[in-house]
Amino acid sequence: MDRRRRLAVGFILSLALLGLCVHYGATSDESWPHPTGDQLAENQDEYVGERVLLFGDVQTIGDGTITIHVTDDDGDVAAELEVRNVEPDNDLDPGGFVQVYGVLETESTTSLDGYMDAEELVVVNQSPDATLYKHVVSAIGGLLAAGFFLRHWRIDYRQLRFEPRDETPSRSSGSGDNGDSNSGATNEREGVNTRG
Amino acid sequence: MAELLSHVLFAYALFTVASWRLEWLSKRWVPVAVVGAILPDLNRIGLLLGEPTIEAALGVPFSFDAIHTFGGVLVLSGIGAIAFDRRRLLAYGILVAGALSHLLVDALKLYADGSAAAWLYPVTWYRHPSPNLYVSSDSGVLAVAGVLALSVWLIDRYRVDTTKQSP
Repeated sequence: MDRRRRLAVGFILSLALLGLCVHYGATSDESWPHPTGDQLAENQDEYVGERVLLFGDVQTIGDGTITIHVTDDDGDVAAELEVRNVEPDNDLDPGGFVQVYGVLETESTTSLDGYMDAEELVVVNQSPDATLYKHVVSAIGGLLAAGFFLRHWRIDYRQLRFEPRDETPSRSSGSGDNGDSNSGATNEREGVNTRG
Repeated sequence: MAELLSHVLFAYALFTVASWRLEWLSKRWVPVAVVGAILPDLNRIGLLLGEPTIEAALGVPFSFDAIHTFGGVLVLSGIGAIAFDRRRLLAYGILVAGALSHLLVDALKLYADGSAAAWLYPVTWYRHPSPNLYVSSDSGVLAVAGVLALSVWLIDRYRVDTTKQSP
């Protein structure tokens, strides 16, 4: 497959991916069995009395209660809710992130948009530090994967493609480290594959 | 989802062990599977680009979360596979397998309502029951993945040394 044909196939597949993202964006809110932030912002009353799963950023910690912000796709606050029946020993800090499962109720006596008695509360991130931990560790994972890949493959920028670093079967010199030995074994097996 | 490093380590361990048994899965294809394992998390590009901005530009709903699904990785792996100089079908299969390892690990994640994410999209929006094993910030997942990957790496080194010494 020459470069032009590969680019054409890549363009078609990119369009397919774009179409998938559009279809997902158009249908996911309706297919998800619980209200999203956008749906809560539009019409919260529709979900009052229903058992729902909501995701929220922790704002304050009280005695057996927390307040959370459920946000919409723009990151704006769609609902500020009080969550009751919260175990006191969960080490939650403001800035943490939780899942709450329970019945959504209205609360007209406070400034809140409503409250939930948590039947299940899952602490996803105890604090902003937990979020930072995930991002840092994920970045390390990405770099590790890229480095591992580029150890075995190189990028041919002219042809816009990946090709194996050691194309021809070669005998390990025995003087290198284990990585070299690995490559030697790889080449031998790859050579068999190629001949096959 | 577990953080990305755990996915990378799990995929390394899984596909390295597979390479011991499968003659056609040589060492150079293990990192391809590892790259496959990071594909579902490319949905995080939405954090950088901002989906509302893209929706405004396109004039239609849009979500990068489609990438973190069965259908998303099938298409994205295709884009990745055509970047290989040959054996693209093998590259495609291995990228998909790596990505599926990611989605399967994520399918074990804890949800407060007991059901996993709808990762089988677009085949179905069904959310299967989750064993609720971990949350994404759980450092225990990384510890398990790290020990597993280190063990496999050590055994793999031993195997290579043994192979070299045998006539």
